[in-house]
Amino acid sequence: MSLRERAREGRLPNWAVRTLALGRREVLRVVRRPKNTVLPPIVTNALYVTVFGVILGARIGDTAGVPYLQFVIPGLIALGTITQSFQNASFTLFHGRWEEYVESVVASPMGHREQVTAYLLASAVRGLAVGLVIFGLGLVFSEIPVRRPLVAVAALVLVVTLFGSLGIAGGLWADDFDQLTVFNQFLIQPLVFFGGVFYPVSDLPGLVETVSYLNPMVYIVSGVRFGLLGQAEVSPVVSLGVLAGASVVAVAAVLALMARGYGLRD
Amino acid sequence: MSSSVAIAAEDLVKEYEGTRALDGFSVSVDRGEFFGLLGPNGAGKTTFIETLVGLSGPTAGTAAVFGHDVVADRRAVRQRVGLAPQEYNVDRFFPIREVLEHKAGYHGIRHETAQKRADWALDRVGLQEKAGATFKSLSGGMKRRVLLARALVTDPDLLILDEPTAGVDVQLRREIWDVVKDLNDGGMTVLLTTHYIKEAERLCDRVCIMEAGRSVAVDTPAELRRRGTDTYHLGVAGRPPGGALDGIDEVVSVERTDAGLAVEAGRSSGALPAVITALTEAGVTVTDVETEPTSLEDVFVDMTRTDSDRATPARPDEGTGSETDGPDIEVTR
Ligand SMILES: Nc1ncnc2c1ncn2[C@@H]1O[C@H](COP(=O)(O)OP(=O)(O)O)[C@@H](O)[C@H]1O
Ligand SMILES: [Mg+2]
Repeated sequence: MSLRERAREGRLPNWAVRTLALGRREVLRVVRRPKNTVLPPIVTNALYVTVFGVILGARIGDTAGVPYLQFVIPGLIALGTITQSFQNASFTLFHGRWEEYVESVVASPMGHREQVTAYLLASAVRGLAVGLVIFGLGLVFSEIPVRRPLVAVAALVLVVTLFGSLGIAGGLWADDFDQLTVFNQFLIQPLVFFGGVFYPVSDLPGLVETVSYLNPMVYIVSGVRFGLLGQAEVSPVVSLGVLAGASVVAVAAVLALMARGYGLRD
Repeated sequence: MSSSVAIAAEDLVKEYEGTRALDGFSVSVDRGEFFGLLGPNGAGKTTFIETLVGLSGPTAGTAAVFGHDVVADRRAVRQRVGLAPQEYNVDRFFPIREVLEHKAGYHGIRHETAQKRADWALDRVGLQEKAGATFKSLSGGMKRRVLLARALVTDPDLLILDEPTAGVDVQLRREIWDVVKDLNDGGMTVLLTTHYIKEAERLCDRVCIMEAGRSVAVDTPAELRRRGTDTYHLGVAGRPPGGALDGIDEVVSVERTDAGLAVEAGRSSGALPAVITALTEAGVTVTDVETEPTSLEDVFVDMTRTDSDRATPARPDEGTGSETDGPDIEVTR
């Protein structure tokens, strides 16, 4: 009997019931508190889009062969999705450890795979929802094509998997909320900003361009941009390949940490 | 595999840097038993409980719950255990009814059933009116009851209560005990830690007295009391000479009091006639005798008294016999 048939009959296997229960709790936490979760990035991105689309966009002119807003939207989607999926997983684990309510998950029959799946699902929902809203904001001011939808979806799903996993690791590791802020503000944000969100990396002078390709964010931004615009600096095979490789490593690492009870058990 | 054993722990050791929270702790709890863990602060009670549910991994030794090893088979253990922890650890983003639903869900209970279980559990602890309230907005006594309800929502076979009545007033404490006693009568095994010794005495089939990560004694409250001493409060006419009772082996201590003498002797040792005879021979008339039986608390204090304590006995004032329903004394050491 397929999972869906069983679900219809209300006979989901226990592991699915447990995973969905945790995933549900995680998503509800976000939905119930939009002011603290999804509204801030929406406001920030509305400002970005207004400034780049209406005020600066006209002066900058075409970039990499497309209007500037079209060029920048995929980058903003990548940035928003990365930040939100990371924040969701890292906050929930850090806060749950801090206030110890994560114990009701840890001291339950949930296995480590189920827990990781639930946290990743919730991070994906939040990351992708914000990405979608940013896409919508772009549509308000310009036409945003989706030339390679499969590439776009694959890139974004890998992004939320990768950064949801990094968020879980961060949330398990941090002893103090500032450590997570540091990680986000001083590592993720700068890397994304220098990862070709606002300018084509190929416009940079030789050495700087070469160094830029060491920045993993370049592949992410490029992957999303290719999905929407049908063109980007890095070929989609390479960007999706790098992203997929990094995601696999990150998920495996997080599964290992959870199985050991890292940060959760004495 | 003996299916009549709920908890079996053998030589458990838990080391934190510098401390041995558990130092070769062994205990066995039968299925259906109401079992108490008594011990001063830092004795290792919470550590033992955390070991059972896998929140803490033992440094050495083994423990099993209903035959499932707490390390190798921890998920099977957790499936059957409901824990009301000592510290509040409730998700404050949700109203308490949803907190319970989530907990049920983590145990594989389907959403619709989980909702019913949550309502049942809240009703059981008398919190149905607060179903929509957040944990933070509740009073201390209500918070304790939420922890109990959350432990019950998964329909556990073993209910573990870590200091469940700390900071709860007498009336409410009794209500909590009515609920737990009822569940125990229905077959649920209960493991309880408490500072309120009389509570343990009244409720538990057996208690384990814990000290510095070890088990000092395990027995029924009545048996443990029997190991203690009686105190004879004697009213006397005349001033008894020192050393008049030195010849009686059963006498543990003699103290002058306002009314006369307080003589401590082995419980049910029958030393009283010898004491009266010896005093009479020393020219002292005994005018009044009152026997004060040991309480479990006395036994507890004796057993967990360290050498440094012994130099300056810090026995809490206690005037009530073990069966009286006076205010319980909290042993905080
Ligand atoms: N996480 C921890 N890290 C270091 N020491 C701990 C930790 N948890 C407990 N201890 C120490 O272990 C001992 C036993 O503590 P605990 O089990 O909480 O005792 P009880 O519950 O009987 O009061 C204490 O000395 C305590 O300080
Ligand atoms: Mg404790």
